[in-house]
Amino acid sequence: MEATIEVKGLRKRYGPVKALDGMSFTVTPGQVTGFVGPNGAGKSTTMRIIVGLDAADEGSALVGGRPYRSLRSPLRHLGALLDAAALQPSRTARHHLLWLAHSQGLPAARVEEVLELVGLAGAARRRAGGLSLGMRQRLGIAAALLGDPPVLMLDEPFNGLDPEGIVWIRGLLGSLAAEGRAVLVSSHLMSQLQDVAGHLVVAGRGRVVADTGVAQLIAEASRGRVRVRTAAREEAMAVLARAGAAVAATGPDTLTVSGPAAERIVELLTAQAVPFSEVAAHRASLEEAYMELTRDCVDYTGDYSGAAR
Amino acid sequence: MRRELHAEWTKLRTLPGTGWLLASVVALTVGLGAAADALAGCPWRGCGHDPARLALGGVQLGQAAIAMLAVLIISGEYGTGLIRATLTAMPRRIAVLAAKATLVTGLALASGSLAVLGALLAGRLILPGSGFTAEHGYTLAADGPTLRAALGSVLYLALVGLLGLGVGAAVRDSAAAIGVTLGLLYGTAALPYLVGDPDWQRLLWRISPMNAGLAVQATRDLAQLPLGPWQGLGVPAAWAAAALAAGAVALTRRDA
Repeated sequence: MEATIEVKGLRKRYGPVKALDGMSFTVTPGQVTGFVGPNGAGKSTTMRIIVGLDAADEGSALVGGRPYRSLRSPLRHLGALLDAAALQPSRTARHHLLWLAHSQGLPAARVEEVLELVGLAGAARRRAGGLSLGMRQRLGIAAALLGDPPVLMLDEPFNGLDPEGIVWIRGLLGSLAAEGRAVLVSSHLMSQLQDVAGHLVVAGRGRVVADTGVAQLIAEASRGRVRVRTAAREEAMAVLARAGAAVAATGPDTLTVSGPAAERIVELLTAQAVPFSEVAAHRASLEEAYMELTRDCVDYTGDYSGAAR
Repeated sequence: MRRELHAEWTKLRTLPGTGWLLASVVALTVGLGAAADALAGCPWRGCGHDPARLALGGVQLGQAAIAMLAVLIISGEYGTGLIRATLTAMPRRIAVLAAKATLVTGLALASGSLAVLGALLAGRLILPGSGFTAEHGYTLAADGPTLRAALGSVLYLALVGLLGLGVGAAVRDSAAAIGVTLGLLYGTAALPYLVGDPDWQRLLWRISPMNAGLAVQATRDLAQLPLGPWQGLGVPAAWAAAALAAGAVALTRRDA
């Protein structure tokens, strides 16, 4: 089976609310695909439709070329973490995984393996209701890995994890992708996906607003911008503005300049004897790039950002 | 359906509540039966009591535990959100419902058999002391009609379980589903006694799953019943079938 998720033209209404409005994208093997977008963009709905929990009004979702609901042992094809709280609180972590294993014809030994893998071996006999949010998240990931699937789909896996847990899951996602699996990860925190995601699907208002490689996206957002570090911020701003550059103060001693190239900036500052310690090409963070991309499709924008512009 | 059955069985046996509910089926059925045996009296010939009905009267209470177990097996999953894990792991929803129905039936038959055996044993021990003697013409004999009452009671409990499962799947909310199921059992049982018209009384009695279903426990004066014992058992069977059909439609058509 090819490790892919193909979503084509999904439409879904919940009463008067249009949750999905032609959502289409493809998740390819060998990299982590970030699935991002503001709240209400349709990320979770799309994921629920992929695993057949909800039925789409229109369009199709295929896992390895087949509809999820036609798969005989679905967890061996796609491992999903949709809602870590979806547990019976009085059942132990181990027993939760055990019934899942039995539903796929997997041996009980596999349960011990994944518990070890997510670092829950010590809590296996504790009731799921007594686990911390972070531990429940790990249990959910253990469930997703149970069938050793070629495709993984995780909805907000960073939620509730402590910093150590976040580092752990970023490493795990990277190594799963390096093994050639297709990994789709939704998150509303772009910084969590930085350096992990190779590809980005940005959703807004029920459809895809951008489907792009992360490297390319960052390059575009950084294009032509130069970072200047200087102790004489005010003078530098005046000099550069006079030369026609767009200048923004982005820190106590840093400016982000667009317009002139780095060489020209050095020339201008030197000519006016403005001291500076660094002039370098600016590399946008994933978060900046994302903000630029979604500026127009956020439903509710705070007044603060509007006033600042 | 083998994997669905295996997974559902693992779920059921790893929940502490299952054992308690099954134990309470037996305790309630035997306990109420024994109390009724002791409190009833048959001091003369022709006292009019049916000793089998008396001894098995606890089924009227024990069924509540079976109904709750059956409702919670599915509505409990909607309450916790576990249903999403269930249907993600086992997308063939009808097979999941069938597996749950098989387990409900099996557990109801097992606990029901224990309960009915215990109730009959209590009856054999206690009833003679209450005046149910051969001399008065009322004994709890190990004969055909008593056997039918016993077997019928066990089957009745299984049908109550299937009714509860169907309602749980259709209604989804635990409290509402338990309310609907117990209302169907006890509410409709009381209805015939609230109307005066005898034709209406007969009709209401016949459509009540509990009144009609427990006719199977009768061992005397069968001619006076609105429905025969086995016919009567058909009423809860029809209710269970309708509830399961509604549950299957809700499970397959609605988003989880």
